[in-house]
Amino acid sequence: MRKATIRSLLAHKLRLALTGLAIVLGVGFVAGTLILSDTLNATFDTLFKGIESGVDVRVRAKKSFSEQQNNDERQPVPASLLSEVRHIDGVKAAAGEVEGTAILIDHKGKAITPRGPPTLGETFTDIAGLSPYTLKEGHRPTNGNEVAIDAATAKKHGFRVGERVKVLLNGPAREFTLVGVFKVGTADTLLGATVTAFDTSTAQEALDRPGQFSFINVKGDNGVSKTELRSRVNAALGGGYEALTGPQLAKEDASDVQQGIQFFSIFLLVFAGIALFVGTFMIANTFSIIVAQRTRELALLRALGAARRQVMASVLGEAFITAVVASVAGLAFGIGISYGIRALMDAIGFGLPAGSLVLSPRTFVVSLLVGIVVTVVSAAAPARRATRVAPIEAMREGGTPAATTSSRRRILLGCTTTVVGGGALALGLIGGGASAVKYVGLGVFLVFMGVAFLGPVLARPVARVVGAPLVRLFKLPAKLARENAMRNPRRTASTAAALMIGLALVTFVSVLSASVKTSTTKTIDKEFGADYTVTAGGFGEGFSPTVASDLAKRPELATVTAVRPGQFKLDGATKQLAGVEPDKLTSLLHLDVISGRAPTGSESGLLVSEKQARDHAWKVGSTVALQFARTGVQRISVAGIYAKNDLAGAYLLTLSDFERNYTTINDNLVVIKAAPGVSPARSRAAVERVLNRYPNLDVRDAAELKAQAASQINQLLGIVTALLAMAILIALLGIVNTLALSIFERTRELGLLRAVGMGRRQVRSMIRCEAVIISVFGALLGLVVGVFFGWALVAALHSRGVSTLTVPGGQLLVFVALAALAGVVAAVLPARRAARLDVLHAISHD
Amino acid sequence: MTPVTNHVILADDARIVAAADDEAQSSAYVRHMRSITDTRPADPRPATSATVAARAVDLVKVYGSGETAVRALDHVSVEFPTGRFSAIMGPSGSGKSTLMHCLAGLDGVTSGEAFIGDVDITRLNDNRLTLLRRDKVGFVFQSFNLVPTLDALENITLPMAIAGRKPDQVWLDHVIDTIGLRDRLAHRPSELSGGQQQRVAAARALASRPAIIFADEPTGNLDSRSGAEVLGFLRRSVREMGQTIVMVTHDPAAASYADRVVFLADGQAVDEMSEPSADSVLDRMKHLGG
Repeated sequence: MRKATIRSLLAHKLRLALTGLAIVLGVGFVAGTLILSDTLNATFDTLFKGIESGVDVRVRAKKSFSEQQNNDERQPVPASLLSEVRHIDGVKAAAGEVEGTAILIDHKGKAITPRGPPTLGETFTDIAGLSPYTLKEGHRPTNGNEVAIDAATAKKHGFRVGERVKVLLNGPAREFTLVGVFKVGTADTLLGATVTAFDTSTAQEALDRPGQFSFINVKGDNGVSKTELRSRVNAALGGGYEALTGPQLAKEDASDVQQGIQFFSIFLLVFAGIALFVGTFMIANTFSIIVAQRTRELALLRALGAARRQVMASVLGEAFITAVVASVAGLAFGIGISYGIRALMDAIGFGLPAGSLVLSPRTFVVSLLVGIVVTVVSAAAPARRATRVAPIEAMREGGTPAATTSSRRRILLGCTTTVVGGGALALGLIGGGASAVKYVGLGVFLVFMGVAFLGPVLARPVARVVGAPLVRLFKLPAKLARENAMRNPRRTASTAAALMIGLALVTFVSVLSASVKTSTTKTIDKEFGADYTVTAGGFGEGFSPTVASDLAKRPELATVTAVRPGQFKLDGATKQLAGVEPDKLTSLLHLDVISGRAPTGSESGLLVSEKQARDHAWKVGSTVALQFARTGVQRISVAGIYAKNDLAGAYLLTLSDFERNYTTINDNLVVIKAAPGVSPARSRAAVERVLNRYPNLDVRDAAELKAQAASQINQLLGIVTALLAMAILIALLGIVNTLALSIFERTRELGLLRAVGMGRRQVRSMIRCEAVIISVFGALLGLVVGVFFGWALVAALHSRGVSTLTVPGGQLLVFVALAALAGVVAAVLPARRAARLDVLHAISHD
Repeated sequence: MTPVTNHVILADDARIVAAADDEAQSSAYVRHMRSITDTRPADPRPATSATVAARAVDLVKVYGSGETAVRALDHVSVEFPTGRFSAIMGPSGSGKSTLMHCLAGLDGVTSGEAFIGDVDITRLNDNRLTLLRRDKVGFVFQSFNLVPTLDALENITLPMAIAGRKPDQVWLDHVIDTIGLRDRLAHRPSELSGGQQQRVAAARALASRPAIIFADEPTGNLDSRSGAEVLGFLRRSVREMGQTIVMVTHDPAAASYADRVVFLADGQAVDEMSEPSADSVLDRMKHLGG
């Protein structure tokens, strides 16, 4: 039996190679992701250990909102704490440090704001051994006129020691002399962040922490261990502060980044999973085919006394060997991928410290296990079918009857699975909660399976319809192709199902993005009553309130008002609010105050949306207990209740209340209404004149806001589509596989067609048409399922502002056309093979 | 004018012994077949046609090279006249199928020439050959070779569909009535018996009125009754429709339906016979062999 298994393997090597490729790609994706995340984790451990190596203990304020990472939540410490710390027994030296935002301006006058990594303003302490920075060139800044910057930024933007540089701090850009270039730890950059360092007092002033420090770094006396020092510091200071050792800090810093990596790697693994799921269809298909081809052989083995179990083992053994070989290859491929991605990250400028890839045993185990389990499970159904081959089949002449599930049972099974899947999806989307993701995942999986079950029933009618225009266009070859696609609906369906998954997900993302785009546009049309917004480029970082006050001085602008984001806790849950001037917003955001009124000037008060008021049974005049990081619980009364407004959000606080309760006073949005009678050109010029001094800020009108939202959504769409490309590629390999097989099975028929006068071109056309029918069938299934998913999610997001379902018809048509084109591409090699078939060989009796 | 025999080279007689085995069976088979299907007119049409439908001139076909080379056709020259039913006979390995494949443009030749009408097909490229097969040649194969996804009528009109031509409806009706499968036209091959399938295949060959039909062991996979039906049909198409047919067979009974038999042995044309009967063919083969 083992011999028979191995012989079969060798006989089907091409087919298995194609199948193997699906496993190689899927496993490669998994392995690459694991290796990459392990490597990055290790890299960050090393990196942060290096950065914090000089620090024995750090003293800082305790966080009020323990689960939040927001900077604002950790309060600064008073400068006076530094001398207290210095007096603690065992403390050799202590340095007060300030952290904030500082944006360098390059030689062209543009703000250097990398997408992603932050722009940090830091203290370059004069206390030896306590700074993470080591000078590469020049000296450290010693007065209010000097700065130093990180080596990577200096190199990238061509800054030289001695020149004057402009830095955006609080307010318009300020000029400094660049006196030093430094490394962070051992690397030239801190993960791509731009770091601008000042001497201590300049940092306090420039980074808006007068008389304060962000934290204090401590160096201990020789002979005092870090943990001992930590306990002494903790004992000496009050309850509002905490002390951590250097290694603890390194771990904490790394874990912040590592959480990001984990999210990123889960995201990638989801796509690897999708690719493998698509692969299962191809694997199952291949083994069904192999079993069908081996029917006579298997029957003979049975006739000669092989038990069902042995037949099953033979097929599964073949799957197992294929899986092992392909998984090992996939692992190698994954190592290649991770090298590639790391090189790419280096090129983009993350500047990871050098280090070898981390190949943990887990990577090997998981990759091999995934590859083997997926393959063997996919081959299980065909293997079971193989056991049902009766010994009598060995004597039977000609083709073998295809094992078929009756279509009624199929419809029942398919519909039930789809409906159960839809239910799980609904439960996940509507129910929410911790297990929502699991329900959604299960629902999606079941819907796919259900539609795949229904596939064979749908294959015939759909192939008939899809084939009709082809038949009109290409006559006989297309007719033969269509008949052939309908001849084995099960195979056609499972080939198409693989493509369906990729296309359904792409369609889903397109429907979702289109819906979000139209909803955003609608919201802006409906609620945006202003002329311009001003925001910082990139991720909407905060900027100085001087921007708004500068703008307000322009006579061309009638109303200028700032919006400041903040977090607070209500009944233990963290919520977002915006600090605003409510009276100004009523017109600028069409804020419809339905009861109470919008406070003006320096009045105190909270405005809440209709829904919040209803949910909490608040009325105008009710007092609400808001908990702030800086000031703790504050009771603020509800001044007004407004109708649902997606731009304003749920909670608005007056600016005077905001300033009382928050430490960092940064605007992240300024909304502007031009003065009456001022032309758009003039008002815009006025805004731009002010923004010249703030190169990091952008002005946008309503149309530009919509365009910006659209481009962000398109970017997301692009990323997701690119990641789904792997799944679609595997599905196309499946089509190649099915066609190759179909040609192999029809050798004689093709020979006959050639003998009676069919030209090579017609043969190629026939194979192409079959590919197109299969791929368009898959695409159509995908569109239906994808639109359903899109509809489901949009319905679930209704309350979050995604109010309009938009099905991008043109785009979906393009998908179908692309699928047809992909079918043509997939058919290239099989068609060539079919056309080259030796006529004589094909018709001569075996 | 008698069909060309002057090129026929007599072979070493000892080479045809292989056929001896079949003989005993064959005579019984022949008698059986005669009893059920003898529709042959007493006086076969005289071979008056001056034209030649297919012609091999000094044809050589070698498979492989060097030590392992096999000479399947060894300087064969033979002609098949228009409007006649010719049979090519010979034991397994005699080269009879190879001769047919070369003449039909299904296989290339090593040297020599092969003509369909006036066209030397050895000089045609694949495209021209394909067109020639489509327009001038019909085929009937041993294993029926119908397209399983097409029904009987579609199979019959397949060559015309490939060419994008409309079939001649009158002629088509005539062919269909002759094969007697009008009530089966909408059936797929899997719903037809072997004999019915082969009749459909024969009708397909006839429907486009090719210059010549090549039949390769058309009764090889049929029981004797169905075989006789098909052979009778082929002969009628020659007698009544003036079709030219060249049939390869190793069965003397089948050969007896032909107007003329060419004998091949070891890649050489060794003999020929006009107005064969099963017995005379058997005799000749015995004689050649003995």
